[in-house]
Amino acid sequence: MIRLLARRLLAGMATILCIYALTFAMVVSLPGNPFQQADRSMPPEVEQALRARYSMDNNWRYFREFLAGAVQLDFGPTFTYADWTCNQIIAEALPVSVLIGLLAMLIAVQVGVPVGVYSAVRRDRWFDVTTLAFVLLGISLPTFVTGTALLTVFAVYLQIAPVGGWGTMAHLPLPALTLSLPFTAYIARLTRIGMLDVLGSDFIRTARAKGLAPRVVVWKHALRVAFLPVLSFLGPATAQAMTGSFVVEKVFGVPGLGQHFVNAALNLDAGLIMSTVLVFATMLVAFNLLVDVLYAWLDPRIVGAV
Amino acid sequence: MYRRLLWVCGGLTAALLAAYAAASRETRADFTYVNPSGIHTLDPARMSWTQDFRVALNIWEGLTTSHPETTAPIGGAAEFPPALSPDRTTYTFTIRDDARWSNGDPVTAGDFLRGWRRSMEPGTATDYTFLFTDHIHGAQAYVQWRREAVAALTALARLRDGWGVDAAQARGLARHPVYAGIRALAGASPLTPPVGEATGAWAAFASQLDKLPVPWDRLHQMLFREHAAELNERFAGVGITAIDDRTLEVRLIRPCPYFLDLTAFPAFLPCHESIELLRERHAGAPLSAEGLVAYDPQWTKPDFRGNGYPGLITNGPYRLASWRFKRRARLAVNPYHRDAAAVSCRTIDMLVFDNISAALMAYEAGGVDFLPAMDVPYDHEIARLARSGERPDFHLCDTLATYFLNFNCLTEAVSDRPNPFRDPRVRRAFSLAVDRPALVERVLQRGDRVAASLVPPAAIAGYEPPAGLVHNPAGARRLLADAGYPGGAGLPPVELLYVPSDQRVCQAIARMWEQELSVRVELRCKETKTYAEDKANHRFMAARGNWYADYYDPTTFLDCLATGNGNNDSGYSSDRYDRLLAQAREATDAAERFALLGEAERIMVEEDCPILPILHYALPIAIKPHVRGLYPNPRLRFAFRYVSIRP
Repeated sequence: MIRLLARRLLAGMATILCIYALTFAMVVSLPGNPFQQADRSMPPEVEQALRARYSMDNNWRYFREFLAGAVQLDFGPTFTYADWTCNQIIAEALPVSVLIGLLAMLIAVQVGVPVGVYSAVRRDRWFDVTTLAFVLLGISLPTFVTGTALLTVFAVYLQIAPVGGWGTMAHLPLPALTLSLPFTAYIARLTRIGMLDVLGSDFIRTARAKGLAPRVVVWKHALRVAFLPVLSFLGPATAQAMTGSFVVEKVFGVPGLGQHFVNAALNLDAGLIMSTVLVFATMLVAFNLLVDVLYAWLDPRIVGAV
Repeated sequence: MYRRLLWVCGGLTAALLAAYAAASRETRADFTYVNPSGIHTLDPARMSWTQDFRVALNIWEGLTTSHPETTAPIGGAAEFPPALSPDRTTYTFTIRDDARWSNGDPVTAGDFLRGWRRSMEPGTATDYTFLFTDHIHGAQAYVQWRREAVAALTALARLRDGWGVDAAQARGLARHPVYAGIRALAGASPLTPPVGEATGAWAAFASQLDKLPVPWDRLHQMLFREHAAELNERFAGVGITAIDDRTLEVRLIRPCPYFLDLTAFPAFLPCHESIELLRERHAGAPLSAEGLVAYDPQWTKPDFRGNGYPGLITNGPYRLASWRFKRRARLAVNPYHRDAAAVSCRTIDMLVFDNISAALMAYEAGGVDFLPAMDVPYDHEIARLARSGERPDFHLCDTLATYFLNFNCLTEAVSDRPNPFRDPRVRRAFSLAVDRPALVERVLQRGDRVAASLVPPAAIAGYEPPAGLVHNPAGARRLLADAGYPGGAGLPPVELLYVPSDQRVCQAIARMWEQELSVRVELRCKETKTYAEDKANHRFMAARGNWYADYYDPTTFLDCLATGNGNNDSGYSSDRYDRLLAQAREATDAAERFALLGEAERIMVEEDCPILPILHYALPIAIKPHVRGLYPNPRLRFAFRYVSIRP
């Protein structure tokens, strides 16, 4: 177990370093000038001095200095928002993204798993067919469509939710629900497939033959095995829900990190691009690691296999 | 198994919600407005966005401020009007004895000196240094001296650290007096800097510099010390003097009829002395190794505490109570302001909506009282509702801003093709071929005014802009034939550079050129930063541009096209134009001055055509009917101190 952890940790760090190097290479080769405003030109002497001050006149120096800062969790200044450091921006926005992402995943698990189980138990009956239709919709409809639809119905017509923004309990349900839809659908499908597989196996037949109540057989014995594929999906999915909510943030005006990820690239804000990429990469690696550990806990055979 | 999962998930959800509920307890302010993109910076010396100006002018107060309805200058922190010398070049401002900072300190002349200096110093200043160097005695010389030293110090710091210098840095060093000393030190191998601007020669020179046997660290130290020691003495040569705590004397280069309008501008705001608590020091001087003024950008935070810093202190009718990044900023009344008792809205919320359609929905739902921007994809519909009176709460503000096309008058070749726009006849032909009323009224349909000139008509009292060119495709074709391109033959494909928001109008222009002049037009749509870089380096044949007036005078527009101006993107250079601008500067009579400026603009837009004016923006805003005291105005300046909510 310890060896598994250590090996995964090292691999994770190597992955993050590679991502950093790749991002850096892309950032410095972007066309355009981050110090150039749209309307007015900066005096060349001052631009030269600013470049030197932020080590941007020498790529190798910049690469080293940014990395040294990042290791100490200091991501330095941004060029677009002079009054804020990258650290402050991340500290403001990351909790929002994490909250929305976690809520969405919790909804997805709490809805997706039971739906999947029922569909498997009542295979090909009306419940299974209807949920299949909804699942297809959930997976294929992009969040800007579902989000806008929910917004129009609940905020504009029914007026029971605010149109957007952040700060009160009422701001939470719509974006969390929107973000959870594709994950719910996917989890329901995974659970259903896993359950169908397990329900036909020998140990389930034995359990039934022993006279255990069908409820116990399904929810306790079968689900334990059928849940494993869902669990391995949950790791990257949680990281994705926390980091990839740009569209949902845009539709609902949620002040999360996704918008900075996109805007920083448009603004050529090198420091902010690299710090958001590093944060996202670290989260992705960390959640995969967490799932590996959980897996080993649920199914001890895994430790030996890896 | 499932029960455990349910417990874990349910428990986590409850914990998250509880934590969120505990963290978010925000009450609604007296007045709420939306700032779509959020605040870029609250540092008055650095800001250049209208949205930032709006916040700054509500929390700070200049020597003068703007009338809420007309935006004409009225009294601010100083008594109004200030004393003016008979030759109209020296203003003496007396600070009001009841002018107070938000911590109760009296506002002093020194605070204004500090604020104004920040707007000039390399390191703290950005876009508006020219307002000082163009008008205030001695400012140009000081800023020039500073910039040259910054260039030399940057190069020396690089050489000292062993990183070498690039062409631009080497050029900065070679042009500074300190280079004579370097050549003396280098002894046997003196390096002669190249003549001219060719980057290749300078790059070769830069790579040689590195190899010189010179103690770069000592040289850097020497120049740095010398420069830092001379700093204040040199600044004393700038015509801004704090005679005593309440008297500020400003000496201008020449009479400036709009100077009191300038003093209401954010770059001219004062700065409280507490900023000194956050000053970073390098080698005992408040400068970075590159010679830039070093300061802590955290000084604009209301809740930043460090080195005894109390948080942002301002002198306007409001103070900054809280500021969450890209979320909201709350202003609360400044209890020490002389008019604090008369302010009706005690708290103001500025909300950020990245998505303006969502902001509009929030406005319709009643969560927002005021929308100062509505650039939604259906803006033509908004404009129609505003103009027809169907929505009396929608207003169109005729702004002091012009949208135009730049023609590249400078570069010989663009993308390896000869640039036909160096010939004024070609520029004129391309201008005549564009049917601007059709663009504005049929393509955009936003209610903008068709532009015939760069300066908007009827905006500046006493100034009459020229009539401009009228759509004339036949005349355009004749001119093109005169220029050697009969029927468009021989013209290379024309590149039109723009940003995504210009898609509709630029496509329409391209179509007009293709139809009327038989040229091929290549549309080059680029992201803002790339577009700005290409535009500033003249890598275009035609490029969209826009200009917002900084003050009420034609020169805020016309100076941009003067030879060598940093914002002269078209690279236009005309002796006649420059001479007329110079004559207008020296003119003492207002009517004569405007006549000279009008003639300059006529030559520019009717004969030389470096730009093609297209429209003057009419920007839609929405004000809830229960809001009183908020007036649509051309500069989109809104003073919340006069606002009240009708119950």
